[in-house]
Amino acid sequence: MKRWLAVAVLLVMAACTEEFTSPGVCPQFCPGGSIQVRDTVLSIIERDSAFAGYTPRYQGGGMAAAELPSVRSRPYFTFPTIPTRLKPIGTDTTTVPISVDSSRLRLAIVRRERSATNLELKLYQIPRTSDSTSDFASLDTYFNAAAIDSVNVSDLLSRPPITDTATIHIWGDTIQTDSAGHVLVVAGTDSVLLVYFSLDTLKVPFSVPDSGQFGLGVRISADSNASLSLGANESVSNGPVLKWFYHYTVPDSAATVKHDSTTRSPRFDSFVFDPPTPALDSNLAVGSAPSERSLLRFAIPAFLRDSFDVVRATLNLVPVAPFAGAASDSLQILARPIVSDFGGKSTLSGTTGLFGHVTLHPGTTDTVTMEITDLVRAWAQDTVSAKGLFLGQSPEAASFTEIRFYSSRTPAFAPSLHITYVKRFPFGQP
Amino acid sequence: MTVGRSDGRTAGVIVVAAALLAVWPSGRLAAQDSQFGIRGLGTPGKWESVRARSAGGGFAPFDPFSPLMDAALADIRRTSASVTSGTSWRAVDASGTQSSLRGTRFPAITIGGPLVGKIVIAGGFTTYLDRTFGIVTHDTIDLRGTPQPITDDVTSDGAVTDLRFAAAMRPRRWVALGAGIHLLTGSSRIVATRTFADSANYRTSSSRDEVAYGGKGVSLSALFEVTQDLRVATWWRTDSRLRADLSGRTVADNDLPVSYGGGILWRAGGQAVFAGSVAWHGWSTAATGDSTGGPSAHDTFNWSAGAELGPATSPIRFGARGGQLPFGVGKAPTEVGYSAGIGRSFSQGRGRLDIGLERLQRKGTGLTERVWTLLLGLTVRP
Repeated sequence: MKRWLAVAVLLVMAACTEEFTSPGVCPQFCPGGSIQVRDTVLSIIERDSAFAGYTPRYQGGGMAAAELPSVRSRPYFTFPTIPTRLKPIGTDTTTVPISVDSSRLRLAIVRRERSATNLELKLYQIPRTSDSTSDFASLDTYFNAAAIDSVNVSDLLSRPPITDTATIHIWGDTIQTDSAGHVLVVAGTDSVLLVYFSLDTLKVPFSVPDSGQFGLGVRISADSNASLSLGANESVSNGPVLKWFYHYTVPDSAATVKHDSTTRSPRFDSFVFDPPTPALDSNLAVGSAPSERSLLRFAIPAFLRDSFDVVRATLNLVPVAPFAGAASDSLQILARPIVSDFGGKSTLSGTTGLFGHVTLHPGTTDTVTMEITDLVRAWAQDTVSAKGLFLGQSPEAASFTEIRFYSSRTPAFAPSLHITYVKRFPFGQP
Repeated sequence: MTVGRSDGRTAGVIVVAAALLAVWPSGRLAAQDSQFGIRGLGTPGKWESVRARSAGGGFAPFDPFSPLMDAALADIRRTSASVTSGTSWRAVDASGTQSSLRGTRFPAITIGGPLVGKIVIAGGFTTYLDRTFGIVTHDTIDLRGTPQPITDDVTSDGAVTDLRFAAAMRPRRWVALGAGIHLLTGSSRIVATRTFADSANYRTSSSRDEVAYGGKGVSLSALFEVTQDLRVATWWRTDSRLRADLSGRTVADNDLPVSYGGGILWRAGGQAVFAGSVAWHGWSTAATGDSTGGPSAHDTFNWSAGAELGPATSPIRFGARGGQLPFGVGKAPTEVGYSAGIGRSFSQGRGRLDIGLERLQRKGTGLTERVWTLLLGLTVRP
């Protein structure tokens, strides 16, 4: 009997698995009611406005350089001091002066217009006191003086790579170089171009009274579409780097001469552009530097919370005009939800899964669409959350590009939300 | 009267039965699913114990542990309990679309015993309508001007359960009378999910809710001992409307049938018993038919016949059944079944284990189902 019981219990336990889903033959053998999808455009964006002055140019991760019919932009940077004297021997208390022999400047081109031919970088000396108060006009004089050096990047890229082991040992990779000693290294997997300028003391004199402080500006030129972006100090690894090469004499009996070098990152870097960004108006603005952002508030209707499940939500924005830039320039707009609504100082959410983004190119005149499905679904579920988002450029303050969209104050072109939703399933109907 | 002491085996049986009852999964009281019940109110349960069902259902009117007829409870001499479980393997052919389904159900539990004098009371539950199914459909719809492939998955897990309180008495040696009240209760958890092929732009939509069911009914029955070897049974039952509530709001309200039937049992000697029964259900009042081509409700007639051979402690059973299902397109779907099984008493008759195997075939317009069901029943009399 025990065997019987054991078999019975085992049968019951083994059978406790279910598979009751099968292909449906509708409507005869399907439940009454079906899943219904609807699509509509809602004008529920209200109290939208633009704000400026978030990230200053000198805090941007890049510095835009351009010479385009519509805009000119010029990066500039100043380098800090270096010690002009040093201890020749570690235990000495006396110091000796250094004598600078030359310097090497590294610039990182993090974005460039690939269709540009004869793309040239030119270095200009600017006042070492240049800072955030400098503008295009105040620096223009220096950019119109003689360049202290220039390199044809297009020409460098066309040169055969030098692949010998000695070169790779020094530079870490293959290089391309020209007769003037400029070196180009294609860095890593992101195709950043590292351009090295060899500068003697005639080009960049070392000023002992200034302890080596000096400023440099970059102006670019090309046959057309001259536009690129240099890495800034804030990008951590792609900022300008200046290496001073010097020698000094060790005051021993043999009067030994020793050679050494020291590296400096900019004390300050930024860029200036012309024409300047016009003042904010009744439209929504995104981009430029210092950065502009636009706040959009949404009046989520009750039916979206109660009866419908949003499966797709698209934000529609109508540009006032295309933004300026070379053909391959882009402007990425990031939509970040606000945590609490304090107008222009609203706290931004860090939940990246709720962000929306879209990438625009110069000449965009059509309606810009941005998917914000996850954000709208989150709003529908959390009735107490702030229903608003900020449109901003990503990265901010790295470019002069700015786009403006019509706001709700222009009803014919006002921003709207295109939603696709599933109606509540008619539960309980036979 | 001699009161027997429970031995170890009896205690073991009771422990097993108690364990089974304790771990009873809620929402798994359905009898047997069918695609025919999806569009209607559900699939009616079989109010039969494993013993009755192994013999085609013919013994149900005379079996006190089959929740069909209350008068049969008069045969319970000591407090007893019986549970039934069944595991089904179902092959569905819906207009050429094949699928294989599987499910485990616990369709009936009955506990009863003498109260005072000749009155026996009992309680228990059984499946009234099974509401467990899952449907997957594929389609392409136009969204924002683009054809968009979609997949819909609608699952329902639950049942309408018949909670029965019944009493029976034998006023004369040749007749037993029974009556019962029935509370129809239960719920089904429904999940409707739509997924889009373009998952980058369209999120999956999933909504879920629980539908609660309510209703009531009464039943009357009588069992006649025509001779020592011949018994005749008749029963009648009416149920009110079945109400489906969603968050306290009634979303559907359907009539339930008046049902009646009868049966006959013949003892052909000490080791052979034959029985047969018929039943009518007025399901057409449920009226679920609609203009979209969905199934309509039909009155049903069902018959069954079976035999139990061998000693009462270890009989062999077999039987056949036929009839109709209440919900289907056009004509009422038909059901034909064959079953067989064995029983084994243990612990000096204080426990009985019944095992059965049933083969059913259901046919209706556009759909054929073939079902194998393994039945397992346990009856204990502590």
